[in-house]
Amino acid sequence: MTGEIPLSRRQCGSCWHFHNDAKFLELAFPGLTSLSSGYGSARSDDGICLRHDKYLGARCVCSDFTARPTEFDTAETAADGTSQIGEAATT
Amino acid sequence: MTSVEVQPDRLIAAPPRWRELWLKEDWWAIWLGLGIVVLAYAFFAAGASIRWIAVTPEKWSTLPQLGAHFAANYSRYIVQFLAWLAVFSLALKALGHNAREFIPSFLFLYVLSLVIFALGQWDKANTYNLEPPLVALAVGLVFSNLIGIPRWLDAGFRVEFYIKTGIVLLGATLPFTLIVWAGPAAILQASIVSIVTFLVIYWVATRLGLDKRFAATLGAGGAVCGVSAAIAIAGAVGAKKQDAPIAITTVIIWAVAMIFVLPFVAQYLQLPAGVGGAWIGTSEFADAAGLAAAQTYGNLAGHGAVAGTSDQAIFAYTLIKVVGRDVWIGIWAFVLAIVATTQWERVETGRRPEAAEIWWRFPKFVIGFLLASLLITLVSSGYSLADYNKAVVPSLVAPIKDLRTWAFIFCFLSIGLTTRFRELASAGKKPFLAFSAGAIVNLIVGFILSAIVLAPHWENLGH
Repeated sequence: MTGEIPLSRRQCGSCWHFHNDAKFLELAFPGLTSLSSGYGSARSDDGICLRHDKYLGARCVCSDFTARPTEFDTAETAADGTSQIGEAATT
Repeated sequence: MTSVEVQPDRLIAAPPRWRELWLKEDWWAIWLGLGIVVLAYAFFAAGASIRWIAVTPEKWSTLPQLGAHFAANYSRYIVQFLAWLAVFSLALKALGHNAREFIPSFLFLYVLSLVIFALGQWDKANTYNLEPPLVALAVGLVFSNLIGIPRWLDAGFRVEFYIKTGIVLLGATLPFTLIVWAGPAAILQASIVSIVTFLVIYWVATRLGLDKRFAATLGAGGAVCGVSAAIAIAGAVGAKKQDAPIAITTVIIWAVAMIFVLPFVAQYLQLPAGVGGAWIGTSEFADAAGLAAAQTYGNLAGHGAVAGTSDQAIFAYTLIKVVGRDVWIGIWAFVLAIVATTQWERVETGRRPEAAEIWWRFPKFVIGFLLASLLITLVSSGYSLADYNKAVVPSLVAPIKDLRTWAFIFCFLSIGLTTRFRELASAGKKPFLAFSAGAIVNLIVGFILSAIVLAPHWENLGH
């Protein structure tokens, strides 16, 4: 599957395991809002990879890339009330 | 273990690029800060002033005096509150926050800020060391750690947004010529201290057996700009997910302690205001924490407890911290990303560091700070000193300064209100030791440079 996707689309920013929403990061990193923010420029578009438990840039690539689900898949997951993300993103 | 509940379709934020202009709070701080400055100038050019809305509590010695002030000016405070609420709501809504949660939260913040501001204007306040930045921080810490406040109220406690907006406004009160004159020394001093501090933390951390990426994350937190630098470097080098929260905890503990300690140590040493501000600029880690300490020291100068002026402490601090340290975060990230990918681990993230990262991580609010300074300096250049003091200061500069003070009080109070010590990640002995070693070296080197090597420069800042 990944072979059909161009390299630029196989970066972490497009991966199911990668999460870089500012609000998500502020919840995942306790204390971040005390002296900083998830919405600042210095953070750029970095996020958390739940597959490797790393904090890294959105333009990284790796062999475990999993394409983000389509809008239909996402809606289906949300309708279930749970998702891989909701369960895994714990601190 | 805290479960993080976020809607799946919000977890992947779109790539920033030019969308940064409305998706990053740095840019919103520029729009708000510069918007206020331009509006103030438009009123000034039309022969009016924004002074009416930039109301602040006056000096008082008895409660009836204070009551009379509020009775005479309550409409100004209401309008000011609504104006702040409108502009902050607009910005935070664009950033994706919930406006309905923000409104009651900001009302709470504004009322508490007003009380603290008024307390700071009591003529006996300095007798009891009731400096507004310290009182705001202490009150906030009591609320968040002892009394307890609902989590949803955090919507209005945007420390970083308020400090960035305040720093853009601060630019309007700092002559651009002073930035040009004192900037090189600030960059030199800050660079020396930053590099030494980073190397000490990194060296001690790796000797204690910590991972190189974690050591770099901790090092940047102590050397550049605190929590923001720590997470920027954590992302640049691909640190483990749990490294960033530990670095955040370590920075917060040191930064909050130093807010209360540094101004009084500097006072004990009788450092002139500019020298004390420069020392705080090299020794504090986060912008917000450092500004709380610098403003406290500036207030001490304003009361005559130390030599110099209040502005000297703030200006020296800002030059060192913002111009000397913050603006280099992108370069730190770029260089460390190269080291991480070429030396530490060649293949794991498959990432090639890009020079463009220097720009993407650049703290953009600094652009607003410089533009505000340039604008007011150009406006002022056509006036003699006497006319400047008589016309420009009261009608244009002073109201901007008053609004800046408000933004800073919102920030200082928010630091306390969002710092819940029991919720922070455990710092761990080794990371704390490594960071502390760097912080102590930082304090010593910063003191030598500020109070001995460059003392005449900082003592005479702005004269």
